[in-house]
Amino acid sequence: MTSSSTKDLVSQPYKYGFVTEIETDKIAKGLSEDVVRLISAKKEEPDFLLQFRLRAFRNWLTLEEPDWAELGYPEIDYQNIVYYAAPKQQDKKASLDEVDPKLLETFDKLGIPLSEQKRLSNVAVDAVFDSVSIATTYKEKLAEHGVVFCSFSEAVKEHPELIERYLGSVVSSNDNYFAALNSAVFSDGSFVFIPKGVECPMELSTYFRINSGDTGQFERTLIVAEEGASVSYLEGCTAPMFDTNQLHAAVVELVVLDDASIKYSTVQNWYAGDENGVGGIYNFVTKRGQCRGARSRISWTQVETGSAITWKYPSCLLQGADSVGEFYSVALTNNCQQADTGTKMVHVGPRTRSTIVSKGISAGRSSNSYRGLVQMGRNAKGARNYSQCDSMLIGDQAAANTYPYIRSQQPQAAIEHEASTCRISEDQLFYLQSRGIGFEEAVSMMVSGFCRDVFNQLPMEFAAEADKLLALKLEGSVG
Amino acid sequence: MVSSVLAPVQERGRAALERLGLPTRRQEAWRLTDLKRLAAVAALPPCSTSVRHALPAPSEGVLRLVLDGSQPSLEGQVWPQGFSLLNHADLEQVLGQILDHCGCAEAWPVEFNHASSHQLLALRIHGKVPPLELVLSGGDGLVATRVILILDEKADLDLLEVVLAEGVSAHSHVIEVHIGQEAELRHGFLATADGQASLLAHLAVEQAPRSRYAFTSVVTGWSLGRIEPRVVQLEGQAETTLKGLAMSSAEQQLATHTAVRFDGPEGEFDQLQKCLASGQSHTIFNGAIDVPRVAQRTNAAQLSRNLLLSGQARVDTKPELEIVADDVRCAHGATVSQLQEDELFYLQSRGIGASDAAALLLRGACQEVIEQLPSPAQAWQPLNRVMESLDR
Amino acid sequence: MIRPDAELLLEITDLHAAVEDKPILKGVNLQVRAGEIHAVMGRNGSGKSTLSKVLAGHPAYRVTGGSVRYRSQDLFELEPEERARLGVFLGFQYPVEIPGVSNLEFLRVATNARREKQGSEELDTFAFEDHVREKLAVVQMDPAFLERSVNEGFSGGEKKRNEILQMALLEPVVSILDETDSGLDIDALRIVAGGVNQLATTDNATLLITHYQRLLDEITPDYVHVMAAGRILRTGGRELALELEQTGYDWVDKELAAQGVA
Repeated sequence: MTSSSTKDLVSQPYKYGFVTEIETDKIAKGLSEDVVRLISAKKEEPDFLLQFRLRAFRNWLTLEEPDWAELGYPEIDYQNIVYYAAPKQQDKKASLDEVDPKLLETFDKLGIPLSEQKRLSNVAVDAVFDSVSIATTYKEKLAEHGVVFCSFSEAVKEHPELIERYLGSVVSSNDNYFAALNSAVFSDGSFVFIPKGVECPMELSTYFRINSGDTGQFERTLIVAEEGASVSYLEGCTAPMFDTNQLHAAVVELVVLDDASIKYSTVQNWYAGDENGVGGIYNFVTKRGQCRGARSRISWTQVETGSAITWKYPSCLLQGADSVGEFYSVALTNNCQQADTGTKMVHVGPRTRSTIVSKGISAGRSSNSYRGLVQMGRNAKGARNYSQCDSMLIGDQAAANTYPYIRSQQPQAAIEHEASTCRISEDQLFYLQSRGIGFEEAVSMMVSGFCRDVFNQLPMEFAAEADKLLALKLEGSVG
Repeated sequence: MVSSVLAPVQERGRAALERLGLPTRRQEAWRLTDLKRLAAVAALPPCSTSVRHALPAPSEGVLRLVLDGSQPSLEGQVWPQGFSLLNHADLEQVLGQILDHCGCAEAWPVEFNHASSHQLLALRIHGKVPPLELVLSGGDGLVATRVILILDEKADLDLLEVVLAEGVSAHSHVIEVHIGQEAELRHGFLATADGQASLLAHLAVEQAPRSRYAFTSVVTGWSLGRIEPRVVQLEGQAETTLKGLAMSSAEQQLATHTAVRFDGPEGEFDQLQKCLASGQSHTIFNGAIDVPRVAQRTNAAQLSRNLLLSGQARVDTKPELEIVADDVRCAHGATVSQLQEDELFYLQSRGIGASDAAALLLRGACQEVIEQLPSPAQAWQPLNRVMESLDR
Repeated sequence: MIRPDAELLLEITDLHAAVEDKPILKGVNLQVRAGEIHAVMGRNGSGKSTLSKVLAGHPAYRVTGGSVRYRSQDLFELEPEERARLGVFLGFQYPVEIPGVSNLEFLRVATNARREKQGSEELDTFAFEDHVREKLAVVQMDPAFLERSVNEGFSGGEKKRNEILQMALLEPVVSILDETDSGLDIDALRIVAGGVNQLATTDNATLLITHYQRLLDEITPDYVHVMAAGRILRTGGRELALELEQTGYDWVDKELAAQGVA
């Protein structure tokens, strides 16, 4: 093989495509006010939450599905989706030993062992199966520090006052079409609360697993860091292979008070569909963080490799003076995947700072767009932004687009944006090969070199994994 | 000057406007536009009285033509060697074609011009010719001008368009340019007004292989100013340079929407857009670069530099890249800031007062674009015109 | 050092090669034995750089005829990386920059790929750091360059040192150094040449591709070949290089004309 060019990449068969046979409690397909009430009732929710859902549902009816991202997909029939499914088991188990062994096995297979003997030593995990949290590790240890880490449903029962105070305060229930939908029907997710002055003693992680073929996935994550608190949180996602598409419309809200910080990392590997674009997850996610306090900090890091369609803009509203927002992203698309992702950095407070580093890799017939907004408001005196958006194209049928929206109303704010496009050049490949490095390893070295600035931001435990994931997606690739 | 061919075009334009209606905020290209001012422009009556502007003497050897949208005043014009008017048959064939190639059909400002213009200058350029200066001047109400230029193979032209307006009025201008193989056009566009008049200028340029096109625009002083250069490299392998300066003050809104597409390989593109916003004004830049699969080995660079000079002003910029070809080099950059403090300080530390220092730096910022204007521009003292407009 | 009984490492026979259908090499013949240093000289466009790229297996160069045997193996059967692992080394005239890929990591992966073929044990990160630090001395290179991306932002001289460092690490059997002297000032040239001299043994061989005599003041060749129009026009000893320096390449044209080539 004297390969002359880096042609279409064919990804390695998806490793996480299996289905777990388990009895589930599902409601009938379709969406109406009654369904919203039913979900709330099944979850035995307080009235404020039911009212929140109903408001969102009524808003949703008035909104239109966004089309500006120019993503191509057949119309979604929202009446043909199941809005609530949960693995059948009695109430959430006090001890892991009582969790259905099939579920534990599933997470074992995914590389997320939950049992005490095998679990990761410095990472607390909330395992979410078809939108329902089945287990959370290290809860007690975290509680000793005052850290709350539990499923959203538990939080509603045990900390209703926190939920009432913060839910919807960053992403309102009429923010956009998918956020409104989520607010109406969300089933579960994770809740994290780090009280004043506490540095969370371990990494927190939620692992989302879609199992069911016709169920929509609507998780809700809320993380609050009080004054001086800090936490690093990671989410991972996989799903079985179906030849139909599943809708995933999650909402994540982050609230950061004075001097607090949240580092939020995502490794997204939902099923992407096959090489002809059949099946795969529609991933329409609203993620937003609010730096409310002075000197607060939110850092988003994402490695997006899965999903048939990704529509996602983790954003920072920088209100507190001297607050900091960061966005580090790697998005890899192959075959027929479409990704439209980026961030919004809205500078409100003085001397706020933001950094955006986005690396897009497009292969096959995929389309990969960076879309971002940097906005300097009238009061953002002394604010700064630096953005860098690089695209790498592999093969001549993939598309890489860059749409940065930049707006300033404050003379004493500085914005700097750079974008470039490159490919793996024949000369670079040849150079590595001429030093004895095999073709595929050379490609993979260069791709991970391209992404290095982002991988450096991931928690240690996951950086190597992300690197491997990318290599895997590119393996068996070139000819 | 031919106007009989324009009758069907006018009809088409009116029908299109009827169908399209006024642009709305939901359309990406109009999202930031002051639509009230656009509506006011659309409602203006046609120009009834032309204003005779005092024009500086043209530089030596420059052919100057004045277009005011009405009189066929070019009857009897003596054309230097290399210039010829397109005949009726040519015109019927070519009219609107370049607009179509550049994807301008159905663009509101183009249909608006179609509906309004009854003056057309259509020239063919052969070989190396003397510089051409088109003065587009108006009066009250709406003036619409339309120009077609065909540069034959290896033709070589310096073209300066100067747009002048004052009072509550508007100028709609559409120019179509075909640049033949190995031909070269240096195109200047100097548009200054008094802050009340509005301007909608649309340029459609198609380039044959090995041609060179350098466009330099200097726009200042329009209540609503919108210029839209669209360039297509028909088979790639051409060179395109766009340099723009938009300087807004008071309550002006100046928008520059550029779009460049490469329909073949090995195209070269270099762009610098500078926007300066002071007062309560607003500048908008939207620069799209489209590199489809056929455009391998394209080399494109785009830079948007913005100076925000007042706390009530506003800058919006959106450079855009759409790329499918893999063997390309495309980069864009954007910056928004005020005048550099250390530069100001340096000048002040040499005894220059703060406002003089700022003026010096501003002149410098403008000069980088202005010096790219083709030779006939000298007669117009463009730098002074621009600085005066800022003072007003 | 010329030893007629030394192992025949490289045997180039009637080699023809083309770039984008344009023939460049038109019948090159050359034999290289262990212990020998060969200099290949010639004007720009004579085909000498093409020869080096073809030997290393650059995909843009197409072999259209002839053969190259490396230690009696058909070189063209091998992928570029296999050639490298078996001990064929090309020092690039213009080493490419590879942003994001750490130089140290690159050197380690390459070294281990070669060591595996040699039957040596793999070096882990720590062992390799020690190993590479020893080799840095050969080219007097600042260890700070290990922390940077491959060749990124290196000066011309630093890039060439990095090339010789790779040569030191990979312990090649046949080294082809393509215009290693170009763009170097005299101090850098001495350091690079010193590195090459240190690495030359009776078991390996070096092919210096150069335009100028000055590299040959620092590295003494056993053979000098003059290339023109895609062939080796004349072969001699060191004195041929000195002669070229005095008379230039004008005689080449005459000779080619006499042969009816140019």
